Amino acid sequence: MNWRHKDLIDLDDWTREELNLFLEQANYMEELLNRPIKKVPALRGKLIVNFFFEPSTRTRVSFELAEKMLSADVVNWSSSGSSVSKGETLRDTAWTLEAMGADAVVIRYGAVGSADYLSRKLKKASVFNAGDGTHGHPTQALLDLHSAWKKLGNLEGSRMAIVGDVLHSRVARSNIKAFSKMGVKVILSGPATLMPTDIPSLGAEYDPDPRSAVKDADMIYLLRIQKERQEQGLIPSLDEYHLRYGATEELVSLAGKDALVMHPGPINRRVEIASEVADGEQSIILKQVRSGVAVRMALLYLCLGGVRN
Amino acid sequence: MILIRGVTLFDGVKITEKPLDILIDGEKVVKIAPSLAVEGAEEIDGTGKILCPGFIDIHVHVREPGFEWREDLESCSMAAAAGGYSTVVAMPNTEPAIDSAPLVDFVARKGASLKGARILPSGCVTRERKGHLIAELGKMTAAGAAFFTDDGSPVSTSQILKTALYYTRDLGVRIMEHPEETSLTSGGQVNEGLASSVSGLKGVPASAEYIDVVRGIALSRDTGSPIHFTHVSTALAMDAIRRAKKEGLRVSCDVTAHHLSLDENHVLVSKFDALYKVNPPLRSKADVKALWEALGDGTVDALITDHAPWHNDEKDLPFQEAPFGIASLECSVAVIMDTWLKLGRPVSLERMLQLFTSGPASLLPARWGHLGRIEEGALADLTLLDLEESRDVDISSWNSKGKNCPWKGEILTGWPVMSMIRGSVFKKEI
Amino acid sequence: MPQEKALVMTQQDMFRILKRIAIEIVERNKGLDDVVLLGIQRRGVYLANRLKDLFRDIEEVKVPTGELDITLYRDDIPTLLEQPVVHSTSIPVDIAGKKLILVDDVLYTGRTIRAALDALMDLGRPANVQLVILVDRGHRELPIQADYVGKNIPTSRSEMVEVRVTELDGEDKVVIIERNEV
Repeated sequence: MNWRHKDLIDLDDWTREELNLFLEQANYMEELLNRPIKKVPALRGKLIVNFFFEPSTRTRVSFELAEKMLSADVVNWSSSGSSVSKGETLRDTAWTLEAMGADAVVIRYGAVGSADYLSRKLKKASVFNAGDGTHGHPTQALLDLHSAWKKLGNLEGSRMAIVGDVLHSRVARSNIKAFSKMGVKVILSGPATLMPTDIPSLGAEYDPDPRSAVKDADMIYLLRIQKERQEQGLIPSLDEYHLRYGATEELVSLAGKDALVMHPGPINRRVEIASEVADGEQSIILKQVRSGVAVRMALLYLCLGGVRN
Repeated sequence: MILIRGVTLFDGVKITEKPLDILIDGEKVVKIAPSLAVEGAEEIDGTGKILCPGFIDIHVHVREPGFEWREDLESCSMAAAAGGYSTVVAMPNTEPAIDSAPLVDFVARKGASLKGARILPSGCVTRERKGHLIAELGKMTAAGAAFFTDDGSPVSTSQILKTALYYTRDLGVRIMEHPEETSLTSGGQVNEGLASSVSGLKGVPASAEYIDVVRGIALSRDTGSPIHFTHVSTALAMDAIRRAKKEGLRVSCDVTAHHLSLDENHVLVSKFDALYKVNPPLRSKADVKALWEALGDGTVDALITDHAPWHNDEKDLPFQEAPFGIASLECSVAVIMDTWLKLGRPVSLERMLQLFTSGPASLLPARWGHLGRIEEGALADLTLLDLEESRDVDISSWNSKGKNCPWKGEILTGWPVMSMIRGSVFKKEI
Repeated sequence: MPQEKALVMTQQDMFRILKRIAIEIVERNKGLDDVVLLGIQRRGVYLANRLKDLFRDIEEVKVPTGELDITLYRDDIPTLLEQPVVHSTSIPVDIAGKKLILVDDVLYTGRTIRAALDALMDLGRPANVQLVILVDRGHRELPIQADYVGKNIPTSRSEMVEVRVTELDGEDKVVIIERNEV
């Protein structure tokens, strides 16, 4: 099978077959993480710019590790003291990146559509979306898929409950796409103030009650609640949120003891997740992090390794 | 003297099927007859085309004064004439905002003496368009304001709108309301529904438009003053206007070319191309359908462009960072007629043409009441429309400085092929 | 479709040659102590497994056998036609101090073996590395030679040597194919 994607903006046009191949590739990459010398020369001589215009430690570090393990040359261009903060537009930045000879740009940017925009402006370089506002975060979805797939095997016919602030969540949007492509039924839950208005268009269902939403779920995915949602008046208080929607031991027990508990991190203990659950046996939160590096290695290798005609 | 031969005539109300010859002398239409022989007249073959009163667009962002790099009175006038219009109304959200008689006078004078379409001024409802105090509406009326509007925003509070409606009741100049309940739309980028859900962008709900329309209707009822709602984009608001009209209230509205031809899917399919970013946002397919129904049943009074030109440096940004607006003055007639043809002519041709001519003319103050019709002795503002003409939207040939056009490169059918303003031909492409 | 130009090894030839090589390995290493077989993905893996079976039959020894994917170490990816996807690397024992028998199907430019050696060095420090090759077709670009050669087959650059194994291709044989110039 030929790998046809040069960029990853979002997972809309990835097929299930491609996702399966991808997951397998990520497994082989994870193998490398167990070796005494974790570095391979696959992307030697490739210049990758990590262009991060929103605070993000986890995603950037994960991408950077992946890039370094594949021996790419890595440049971090982030918000402090940058030209964007001095008023340069993304268009000029794109042309600057191209002139520098970047082979790929990993972009995290606050505006929806910024990764799409960058890929239209760059003639040659690959673009990897590390989060464009509230729209998409496809590598997070791939790593979530990888860690769940490793635990559960074939995901066809399984159920995932995503609980929390779906309205503002790029993670939820990308995850719904990735998991439903693999045959997973996705049920969203959380306060109606934090839900998009047209949930069927996302390919998911809504259950306002998290208790029934997690019932029979194979995966419970908790979304991070930003403190500003309380300031915006979308939830009355973080405490009330925890009581009604937080992943407590009681809530998780409704799903059964084999259900996986997942979270994109960083976690807010006693808001969307109780410590006993985050640190408990069903939690695969740290496995997700490990999958993150492997998945990003697979992505970089498949899209940048080799030469396309 | 100019003699247009063998055209189908639309006089502002109805179409005469039999071909007619029309003679123009100086600024006037002097003779209309089945067959005219005039020596020394320049002849234009109008066979197979429709001669209409000059098209009128009551909602154009001319950008002068203050933003001349985006557009100015001169370029806008040429663009309008090239687009088939002979009269357009300039919106007052300039810098400074057109909120006083001298500024209205500036646009009125300059707008009357341009090479292309005439540009009529409008004035702000409130001083500096800030929504606190009503502007000098009487003085601006005298200076020639065609509408009062805080367009770009709604009139800030119900109390100020009510005051302005009372105050303008006997001035003969309508208030044009940009219907938007801003507490529901703050930060909004796309239609609330499919587009907001899929993109994660903040949605602009249909109810925000509906609530402001209902407010305007209630206050029009209270004050007995007419009100005009511009760029109405939702089925919900259209229903409210339809009911108000049935009730006999003096309520009117217009619809843009883009809301009739594009919907929220374009934002998604284009992968967030900022060319599709506009306020009010592109709505659902159901809304588009409802707008076409409203054209047909008389709820809508006029078609507009809401031409909003931007310099490429300002508009060529990621969707969420880009400003709202579409530049369409030079293709809007074709956009609308092409959509109308593709939909299988859901509305009668007469009705469509009224919405470009006598419809908007009826909303203008009495001093412009002579526009929008063709008869012997009328001012020779004419638009020649060819429903069979197909060509691409070539923004490189545009007179407008704004190239932010989502239809660029598209082939459309149904173009204005000649505009005549005050008896002189602007463009002749026969 | 490329045309098969010549059959250079039948199933029986392959079996005989591998058996001869197995015996050579035993001789040269004075038995099979500390010997580890490592097949290079993809066809080398199956050839290594054949050798493992032969050792079991001949010497009644179970030789640790692993597989090595060198995709991430290649420097000739641009010349490959297919998108090179990664395959599994699994090495059953710590290779430090072991006699590593690297197995591949065809030795051509030597770049695959260079990559395999790089990969091996990252995995540990074997006592020595020996190379088994079923077909040596010449045209070396690097100073690399095999310790055990099944057959030398002089070829032109326009030809391809294709080793087929039952597990992947449904049959055991080696053929020469003329590359169709497009």
